[in-house]
Amino acid sequence: MKFTLKVWRQPARDKPGRFETHEVSDVSPDTSFLEMLDILNNRLEGESKSPIVFDSDCREGICGACSIVINGRAHGDGEGTTTCQLYMRNFKDGETLVLEPFRARAFPVLKDLVVDRSAFDRIIQAGGYVSVNTGAPQDANALPVPKVNADLAMDAAQCIGCGACVAACKNASAMLFVGAKVSHLALLPQGAVERERRVLSMIEQMEAEGFGNCTNEYECEAQCPKQISVSNIARLNREFYRAKARE
Amino acid sequence: MNLVSIVKKALMALTGLAWIGFLVGHLSGNFLLLRGADAFNGYAAFLASLGSLLYVVEAALILFLLLHIYSGLRVTLENRRARPVRYAVAATAGRATVASRTMAAGGIIIAVFLVVHVKMFKFTSHQDVNNGLWGLVVDTFKEPAWVGAYIIAMLAVGMHVSHGLASAFQTLGLIKPRWRESFRRTGFAIGWLLAAGFITLPVWCYLVPTN
Ligand code: HEM
Ligand code: FES
Repeated sequence: MKFTLKVWRQPARDKPGRFETHEVSDVSPDTSFLEMLDILNNRLEGESKSPIVFDSDCREGICGACSIVINGRAHGDGEGTTTCQLYMRNFKDGETLVLEPFRARAFPVLKDLVVDRSAFDRIIQAGGYVSVNTGAPQDANALPVPKVNADLAMDAAQCIGCGACVAACKNASAMLFVGAKVSHLALLPQGAVERERRVLSMIEQMEAEGFGNCTNEYECEAQCPKQISVSNIARLNREFYRAKARE
Repeated sequence: MNLVSIVKKALMALTGLAWIGFLVGHLSGNFLLLRGADAFNGYAAFLASLGSLLYVVEAALILFLLLHIYSGLRVTLENRRARPVRYAVAATAGRATVASRTMAAGGIIIAVFLVVHVKMFKFTSHQDVNNGLWGLVVDTFKEPAWVGAYIIAMLAVGMHVSHGLASAFQTLGLIKPRWRESFRRTGFAIGWLLAAGFITLPVWCYLVPTN
């Protein structure tokens, strides 16, 4: 297969960037998208050109490191897939693919397709954890959790924190990410102690990072590789009102 | 003033819902136009006879509208700022709608319309008009340009509410997952039914009665 790639190249943070065009040919349909970039990078290095910088780690769709907006869609247009789980057979032979970094004020571009997503880490540090005293393990049935809540918490906990929701949102809002993190702890007894404090300080940090406001368009849910439901945003709103009312 | 995003959204949702409630009432009352001058003017006189209660409702509507516009514009400006560099390729996964992308623009059309509308029918004397307020309304819509302007404004209302109504329930955290699709459909239907209802009136005035 053959592709024309238009890739965003930016030498460093706060430096101007531009699109660069590369042709790749003889690509096997079973090459993964990132392997295709690896092949292109090998060639660029052979030509003493600087390789295209992009993020990846597990390459099996579980770590959330890979990013890239492909033809205007975060992680490409597959449903429920990360960029690393895309294969070239998902694209049309001869297609032009435009590769851009996740764009948001809160996610500054570091180089080419790599953005700084540490804003998410700071939101987690603000409250996305439970404080437990270590000691002997508890009896397995000491904390009964209703099945419904366990399922909802599990669904929310699938979030891999990749930032596709921010990339997909026309407002660069982080409400789906924060909604998933707040939900998965709010639904479980372990999260109950810090429930109010958690939502308020995570929201406060989210605002400080400069993400936009949610306008309920739900592009985030459709482009999320883990298909996290926007019900978690409704729950985040409820958790926020509840915490404010008890403040 | 530093207002948390969810607070701004909640203000917009509550004030928007209050206005939708008003629109439903306003439309129902206005359908009395079709019953003729006596019925409609009688209804107007009844509203006027409410006296201070009417003022309280009007003051609340104005206050709600100002709060709605204030938070709406702030949300919109902040959202622009949150993505300083736009994508070269703008694609959606199919959830974005024309309505969801034109909330601010549609809102501005509505705001301009409201000023013109109130000036036209509330602060224009109908003392010397044949058939009073009913006559004033009918005469106004014998002018096709006004009919056109009202249709445009009401399409903006229909569009705005078709996204806004369900959106407000999500903002208030009131949507259960299995209701989401019904909320979306109902909000869409109510928005466009309101628009269709309001459009009926100037069109009827233009076509049917003589004053
Ligand atoms: C008849 C009058 C109006 C009604 C019934 C109405 C209703 C609504 C509703 C229900 C929402 C959804 C709130 C939410 O998402 O939580 C909304 C959002 C909004 N409205 Fe209005 N509105 C009206 C007039 C206006 C005006 C005059 C403006 C501005 C000049 C305006 C600007 C906005 C904006 C910017 C949003 C936010 C859009 C978004 O969330 O994507 N609206 N409106
Ligand atoms: S590289 Fe880990 S999810 Fe894609």
